[in-house]
Amino acid sequence: MATTQATARRLPDRDQPRIPPRRTGSGAVRRRETAAGYIFLTPWLIGFAAITAVPMLYSLYLSFTNWDLISNAGQYVGFRNYVRMFTIDPTFWHSVRVTVTYAVVATPLKLALALGVALLLVRARRGASTARALFYLPSLLGSSVALALVWQSLFSRSGVVNEFLDWFGIHGKAWVNDPSYVLWTVVLLGAWQFGAPMVIFIAGLKQIPAELYEAASVDGAGAWRKFVSITLPGLSPVIFFNLVLETIHSFQIFTSAYIIGGGQGGPVDATLVYTLNLYLQGFGQSHIGYASALAWVFLFVIGALTVLIFSTGRFWVHYGDGSDR
Amino acid sequence: MPTTTPQPPGSGPTRRQLLTALGIGVPLALAGCASSGTPTTAAPSVEPIESGPVELSVFWWGADVRAQLTHQVLQLYTQKHPNVTFKETWQANSGYIDKLNTNLAAGSAADIFQLDDNMLGGVAARNQTLDLTNYVAAKRLDTTKLTTSLVNYGKVNGKLAALALAENTPGMVYSKTKVQQYGVEEPAIGWSWDKLISWATDFSAKTNYKVYGTMDPSADYKALWVWLRQQGKDFYNGTKIAFTADDLTKWFTLWKNARDAKAAPPADVIHVANAGDVTKQLVVTGQAATSFMWSNQMPDLAKATKDKLGVVSYPGDPKGQWARAALYFAGYAKTKHPGVVVDVINFFVNDPDAGKILGTERGLPANKDILSTVEASLTDANMKATVDFENTIRPKFGPAPVVPPDGQSAIRTLLTTEAEKVQFGQMGPADAANEFLQQAALKLTT
Repeated sequence: MATTQATARRLPDRDQPRIPPRRTGSGAVRRRETAAGYIFLTPWLIGFAAITAVPMLYSLYLSFTNWDLISNAGQYVGFRNYVRMFTIDPTFWHSVRVTVTYAVVATPLKLALALGVALLLVRARRGASTARALFYLPSLLGSSVALALVWQSLFSRSGVVNEFLDWFGIHGKAWVNDPSYVLWTVVLLGAWQFGAPMVIFIAGLKQIPAELYEAASVDGAGAWRKFVSITLPGLSPVIFFNLVLETIHSFQIFTSAYIIGGGQGGPVDATLVYTLNLYLQGFGQSHIGYASALAWVFLFVIGALTVLIFSTGRFWVHYGDGSDR
Repeated sequence: MPTTTPQPPGSGPTRRQLLTALGIGVPLALAGCASSGTPTTAAPSVEPIESGPVELSVFWWGADVRAQLTHQVLQLYTQKHPNVTFKETWQANSGYIDKLNTNLAAGSAADIFQLDDNMLGGVAARNQTLDLTNYVAAKRLDTTKLTTSLVNYGKVNGKLAALALAENTPGMVYSKTKVQQYGVEEPAIGWSWDKLISWATDFSAKTNYKVYGTMDPSADYKALWVWLRQQGKDFYNGTKIAFTADDLTKWFTLWKNARDAKAAPPADVIHVANAGDVTKQLVVTGQAATSFMWSNQMPDLAKATKDKLGVVSYPGDPKGQWARAALYFAGYAKTKHPGVVVDVINFFVNDPDAGKILGTERGLPANKDILSTVEASLTDANMKATVDFENTIRPKFGPAPVVPPDGQSAIRTLLTTEAEKVQFGQMGPADAANEFLQQAALKLTT
């Protein structure tokens, strides 16, 4: 029998073939435990189904209708909403352009600021932890309406920023009322909230073994060389994580664009980001069917983008345990 | 080797089984959630006024002052009809139509709600208002003391969807203080648009471009509307835009030339006022000498600035203006007490005591008798000036236009966007006009 032979010449424990231990009555016990697990899950399952899953599927259904929120039901219109979005409605492509512009500028800027400040604050100097807390504060308050209102007032023609520029003799423009500049104020507001990725970068930096830096110093590596060849690869999982998260967040931007743009997407649609267009179509003009279609296209695009980032991760993300994905 | 994750026996449903269950169960649930029943259309017949206890909900927008006055009138009604009590809800204008639409969608809107001509088309087109036509015919709702055109301005698709509570008309508000300070002529009724712009050009030069002569109203739908009516044209023809790209190009070019001549301020200054907020109008912030508003907003503007203000009609022939319903009261189509609802609306519009309480807060009283009584007892100089202006211009009004159709708020926003494109120099007037008409057609047909 296999067991007798195995006991005769026992291999070390860690080399034993992996067979799940069998216990008597395991079937009944395991069924009870599994059932108990599911029972404990039911509150969450009900919430998930009722508040997330069912509404999501309902909105998928709505995207094929022309419901206007007030009539009792919308009529089925097939793919008309999707066709309209891609071929007939110019505000759709405009909002895509605005959102992509925002994401392409704000995300790298935010991550660069986060990494830069993290490098400065990673050592436990005096005041470092206070500085970290202060830098983190904006990302706690950042996407609030109040802060966006303050930001709008700061960058208005007679706001604090222009007063500050006046000291240097620079005549500032009406930043939030000018379609050429207003989106950049929104970008700045987004980038200002770099505290959250910064904290994660600091944690990642602390995990890089100090011996690597010492060995590199011995070999005569300068600061830049150490940064490029030790810090960046060592941080790559954290950069990857922050990149995915911040990309998704920047595509979803709503509150700051809504407030700074005055609720309609800013002077001449300059701040009409995708989510704002969705909101105005669905709740301003009562085209709930069309807005639902916009929402599902949005989901697919962000999903595709995330998959794209994951698939490139193979090439540049180095996990320290040697098992590169 | 099996390709699926191996499961120990008896460990509950597999992921695949769970997804299958959801895949079948959820569509079934959705089918059950499908809409039920058809909307009950408002009964065309005239319902009696109930004598049993009735509680009506009332919803309006406005500030504190309006809330107090409205509350007093509702109390007065309860004194005269003790079986009727009220549940009052009110809020600021911003977000009002969203809240109302949400309540209508949920079937729980107030029995009586306030509307303006931007909202009426949309709400009435969806059959959410109580049809008042038969109540007028049965003399339960008395419209004899109102200007006919004002009553007609509440009709949608031939049915009276709401009754005007108060009247106003487009009014160009100007700063008397600044006019005197720089020693220029005061704007008067009947000035042409060109005269206004040349007056404004001189004004801006006199102030060394610290204060501009006039606000640029090219993004304002009511200014465009008046301008079109003066040429015998109109904004809407039923549910379609009634003017051409040529018309709109002329309008945009008129104001582009005004900006180039510095009669009007630069685009970023105009943009802040385009949002419509009373405190941000240029005549209040002192950046221009005129603003294009509704006549009854002059007292509010005057409160927000130290300047003394005056009001005249928009430039051009006064026949372009009309007796606009500043706001309406409408009944909810699904109300359980239509008879009492109509009686309350009648009370607001026609009862002399109610009229005295409401005064001119919502605009000029629609009932002409109440207007004369209120007029005689006015103490606020600005209000007096507004009433005088309206009385002067009323005989010159043209006929009332049709109420703007469903989609009006989208069209307003579209006009603002296209006009701002011209203001910021992103597009020429002709291109912006074409774009406006293309997109307007889209917004009005869906």
